[in-house]
Amino acid sequence: MSLSKTASADGTTLTIQIKGKFDFNLVQSFRQAYAEIGDKTAKVVIDLRETDYMDSSALGMLLNMKKTLGTSVDAIHISNCQPQLKKILQISRFDKKFDID
Amino acid sequence: MHVLVVDDQALNRSLLSVMLKQQGYQVTTANNGIEALAVIDSQSIDIVLLDVLMPEMDGYETAPKIKQRSEDVYLPIIFITSLEDKDSLEHCLAVGGDDFIHKPFDKVILTAKIKAHSRTRQLSLKAHEQNAQLEYHYNQTEREHEIVEHIFNNALENQNEFSNNIDFHLSPASMFNGDMLLVAQSPIGSLYCMLGDFTGHGLAAAVGALPASKVFYTMVNKGMAVNDIAHEVNTVLAKLLPGHMFCAATIIELSSSGKSISAWLGGLPDAYVIDQQGKVLKTLESQHMALGILDADEFERELIHFEVDNTTRIVLATDGIIETANDEDEYFGEQRFIQVLGSKTQVSCHDIIEQVTKFAKGSKQQDDLSLVLFNCLPVPSSKAEAETYSPLPFNFSLSLNSAQIKQTDPVLEVVDVITRVSGLKAHRSDIFLLLSEAYNNAVDHGLLGLDSDIKNHDDGFFEFYQQREAALASLQGAMIIIEIRYCPETLCLYFTICDSGNGFTSNNRGHSLAREHGRGLSLLEEIADYVSYNASGNQIEMRYKLT
Repeated sequence: MSLSKTASADGTTLTIQIKGKFDFNLVQSFRQAYAEIGDKTAKVVIDLRETDYMDSSALGMLLNMKKTLGTSVDAIHISNCQPQLKKILQISRFDKKFDID
Repeated sequence: MHVLVVDDQALNRSLLSVMLKQQGYQVTTANNGIEALAVIDSQSIDIVLLDVLMPEMDGYETAPKIKQRSEDVYLPIIFITSLEDKDSLEHCLAVGGDDFIHKPFDKVILTAKIKAHSRTRQLSLKAHEQNAQLEYHYNQTEREHEIVEHIFNNALENQNEFSNNIDFHLSPASMFNGDMLLVAQSPIGSLYCMLGDFTGHGLAAAVGALPASKVFYTMVNKGMAVNDIAHEVNTVLAKLLPGHMFCAATIIELSSSGKSISAWLGGLPDAYVIDQQGKVLKTLESQHMALGILDADEFERELIHFEVDNTTRIVLATDGIIETANDEDEYFGEQRFIQVLGSKTQVSCHDIIEQVTKFAKGSKQQDDLSLVLFNCLPVPSSKAEAETYSPLPFNFSLSLNSAQIKQTDPVLEVVDVITRVSGLKAHRSDIFLLLSEAYNNAVDHGLLGLDSDIKNHDDGFFEFYQQREAALASLQGAMIIIEIRYCPETLCLYFTICDSGNGFTSNNRGHSLAREHGRGLSLLEEIADYVSYNASGNQIEMRYKLT
């Protein structure tokens, strides 16, 4: 379980990648990952390609992020979900609030 | 030197033998053509002295047969003749004779002629030997190339599997391509494409493709991000390649929905994002050093990320296209390349290469030339073969005391154990979710009696987990029991999670999913096929259908 963040070359996209398990153990590091977001950042990508597991606490953390960032970013993408995780996001109607890819 | 003397007259034979042996030659004699051929078939002869008129088989008939037997190496035939007329001499030459000695023999002339022809014979032998060596090496090289080609084909050529998404043209300047196109799909369905151009061309440039492709395929199989792949390929190439060699490369990943692209660009010419008409929407400039130069800790991981739709195409090319020169030493260049892209709707690699070839006007191709047109269409997912379900009924039970509850986060470990049962791995995310929700509910509300409402306050989410930590530290005399049963007949998993607390109330059920703290149990009910709580609310039972 770990979290890493990368800014794109032009600084407009922040990518947060979560490996393994996305649950309340990441509550602090996830919050920190977007806390000092720059003005230039227009898009946040939550890359779940290496995320095998998530539960409702992860959903809560994502909603918290959306609330915190508000309109300061244009879009929040949740990308590269494995099918079962995509199902969890869809059941929770997250497709209405996030761009899920 | 071994000389064969063929004459029907014993006197001539012995005369010649004595003269030649004095000169240090090895001599064998024969009475007529038939005997001579038998000697040539059984021994290695370097020069033949051949009488014209003989019984059985005369010199005219024998000479062509001797020449036939010695096609590869020059075997000189010197006719022994007393004939002087021009016709006879011409006849001798016509049947394969190389020279004449007239009877009676002049020792000086004979010696001089034998010497001259033996020199030629020796040269011919040497040339023959060198030819044989050359042929041996040539065959060896051919065989090695075949083996290498076979390996390259197996290692690299699977680009055709995704013909809807990828149109490409590869034309190496020599047998082996120093350009490399790799295409593969990740387990979550996204499509990766890597175009690389190693320094130089030919086999020396191509060898780097093997380790690079291995890294690429392994990492795509794990669904890694393009910058992680670039980082890993860089590390491997920096270690393996000699200092002056590197690999300019672009790696792109198209999400399985065909809606977004991530790209890492290191050292290739500009890539273009175009529409169906070939209009350039975006130019993707190289941002990084080529692969195989920087140390792992200096490596630059920055990506480009952008949205696309199913009409978007991405054009990747190695420098072979823009650096194609015509006979006036003029380059094809970027301007012409962009023009060709827009020359018709849905331009194909074939169309582009046709224009490049026309421009080159037959000038020899100097470098490997590769072109990829990548269509951003949703990627059909490859069906992974499903594991078969175990026929054995498994029971799993775990009882945790306060100390264990404090120190561990058992959910993932339990999932790891359960999914060892054949067939369950594919359900690991769901199993995790069910256990995680039920277990955390038991801890947070059953044992610790925390109030989820706090999560609704500003930053309450974080506060909740701080409270949880504090409450957990003083937990005493508590217990949680987890029981899981796998039933192969019904293909169901049955979960029972029971805690020693006062019971959590299930009145959150049915609440709007928008309420964060209710989300857990509602989600659990969507994933599980059946959920029930006991009357006191300290035990939850769930059934999860595997099919």
